[in-house]
Amino acid sequence: MPAVLEFDGITKEYRRLASRRRFRALDEFSLKVEAGEIFGFLGPNGAGKSTAIHIAMGFMGPTSGNGRIMGQPFGEASARRRVGFLAENVALYHRPAERLVRFYGALNGLSGSYLAKRSREVLHIVGLQHQAKRNSAKLSRGMVQRLGLAQALVNDPELLILDEPTSALDPLARVMVRELLLEARNDGKTIFLSSHLLSEVELVCDRIAVLHRGKLVRIGRTGELLQSGEQSEVVARGISAAIFPGAVGHNGVVKLHVPASTQRAVLEQVWNSGGEVVSVNPVRRTLEDIFLEVTSDRDSSLPEKSP
Amino acid sequence: MKPVLLIALNFVREQRWPIFVLLLWVLLLGIFGLVADASRNREDLLFIFKQVAVYVVAFSVFFGSSAIHNERKSRRVLAVLSKAVARSQYLSGLALGITMACAIYCLALGVTASWTLSAVGYPMSRVWFLMICLVAACMLAGTVALMFSTVLSPFLAAAATAVVLGLPGLASRTLAPNWSYLVPVYALTTSVLNTTFKSPGDVVWFPVELALLETVFFWLLSARVFSRVDISVAVE
Repeated sequence: MPAVLEFDGITKEYRRLASRRRFRALDEFSLKVEAGEIFGFLGPNGAGKSTAIHIAMGFMGPTSGNGRIMGQPFGEASARRRVGFLAENVALYHRPAERLVRFYGALNGLSGSYLAKRSREVLHIVGLQHQAKRNSAKLSRGMVQRLGLAQALVNDPELLILDEPTSALDPLARVMVRELLLEARNDGKTIFLSSHLLSEVELVCDRIAVLHRGKLVRIGRTGELLQSGEQSEVVARGISAAIFPGAVGHNGVVKLHVPASTQRAVLEQVWNSGGEVVSVNPVRRTLEDIFLEVTSDRDSSLPEKSP
Repeated sequence: MKPVLLIALNFVREQRWPIFVLLLWVLLLGIFGLVADASRNREDLLFIFKQVAVYVVAFSVFFGSSAIHNERKSRRVLAVLSKAVARSQYLSGLALGITMACAIYCLALGVTASWTLSAVGYPMSRVWFLMICLVAACMLAGTVALMFSTVLSPFLAAAATAVVLGLPGLASRTLAPNWSYLVPVYALTTSVLNTTFKSPGDVVWFPVELALLETVFFWLLSARVFSRVDISVAVE
C-alpha cells in the first residue's frame, strides 16, 4: 500500500523569546498512513497531535526531519488540492453557508455548475441543506463544525485530515460523521482522524497511533491493540471465589482474570477443587485502557530542553 | 490567479465597514462642495480634498499591518491555506485586496473632486493623475506594512512601516530632495499636498513607476519571509 501521508523523523521545537527555553512538541516523530484506511491519531492534550497535523498541512515547518503528503513534500500547495482539512476549533468567514462552501471550493480550483452542485451536495451530506442561505455567524457551534466539514469535503478529497471533527457535535451528528467516514473509506479515501473521543475512534479506525509528549508510544491495528494476549478471563462454577484472589462470584459463577502464562495452572486448580470451567476467553481491552496505560506512566523524562 | 482574486475580494468584503467609514470623508467633501459657495471657498475645498486624499495612505498602512495578524488570530487563515493556495498567492491576494480597497476610495474621491474642484477651475486631468499617484503610494505602503506584519504585531508593523516610509521624507528635507525617491510614498503624497490652483503640478510618472517596481521588490521580500513563518503557533 502506498503511503499518502508520511512523517519521517520530524522534530518540532517552539522557542520562547523571553526565556530562551525550547519546548519540543514533536520528537523524532515517524509515521506512515496508507491509502484507503481510517487512521486514528490519539494523545492527551499537548501531546503534539495538532502540531503534527499543522506540519503536514504546511502551516508550519519542522525543526528537523521531513515528510510527504500525497507523494509531495509538506507545504506544496498543489498536493493540498487532493486533501480536505478540518481544523480543531474551526473558524470560517461570516457569509451564507452555501456561498462560503463555494468560496473554499473555488480556492481549490473548482468552478461553474460543478462547484454549485457540489456545494449543495456537501451541505446535504453534513445535514445543513436547510441552512444553506443562513449566515455562518448565526449558526450554532455544532453547525459551524458541520460547515467546516462541508468545506473540507467540497473538493472530493482523496485524503481527509480531521482534527477533532466531532468535539462540538450532538450524538446524532456524531453518528452522521461516523457513517460519513466509513462511506468515504469504502470509496477508497483515506482518513487521518485526530480525536479525544476514544469510543468513536475504536468504532471506525483501522489503525491507531498514540502520541505522548511528542513521541509515538503505540501504533497498530485497532483489533490487535484491543486484543490482549497477556490476560484471559476464566469463568467457572462449582467453586468458591475465595480460592482465587481478585475473583468475583455471582449466582454461583466465578469470574477471574489471569495472566496467560498461569492460565493452565488456574484451570487445573479449578478442576482439582471440583469446579467446572464454563469459558476461557482472551480479555478484550478498551481503547481507554490502552490510552491510559501508554500515557500515564511516561512522565519521568520531560522533553523540555535548554539550548 | 483565481485564488489571488478570490482572496483579494474576500479581503475587501471583510474590510467593508472601514472602507465605508473612509467613504464618509469623501461624502463630506461632496457635501461641502454642494453647500458652500465653491467659487469663494475654492481654497478651502482644495484643502479638504488634499486632507481627505492623504488619509488613504495611512489607511493602507493600517490595512496592511493588521491583515495577517487578524487572520491568524481568528484562525481563519487555516481554512484558506489548507486549500491549494500557496503562501505567495495568499500574500498577493492580501496586497491586491489592500490596493482594491484604496482604489475604491480613490475612485470615489476622484469622481467627487472632478465634480467639485473642476467646477472652480482645477484641471480634471490633474485630479485623476493625483488619484493614480495615491493608488501607487497605497500599493507600496500597504505592501511594506504587509511585509512587516508577517513577523510583527500590527502596532510594531505599523511603526516599522512609518519609519521606512518616513525616513526618505526626512532625508529629502535635511540632505537632498532626491532622497524622497528612495521609497517614493513621501514623494507621491507631497505631489498631492503641494498642488494649488495656480500651480497644480506637472505630470511626472517616474515616482509612480518607481513605486510599482518597489512594490514588486517588497512583495518578493514578504513572500520570502512569509514562506518561513509558522502561521499556527499554538504552543501546546
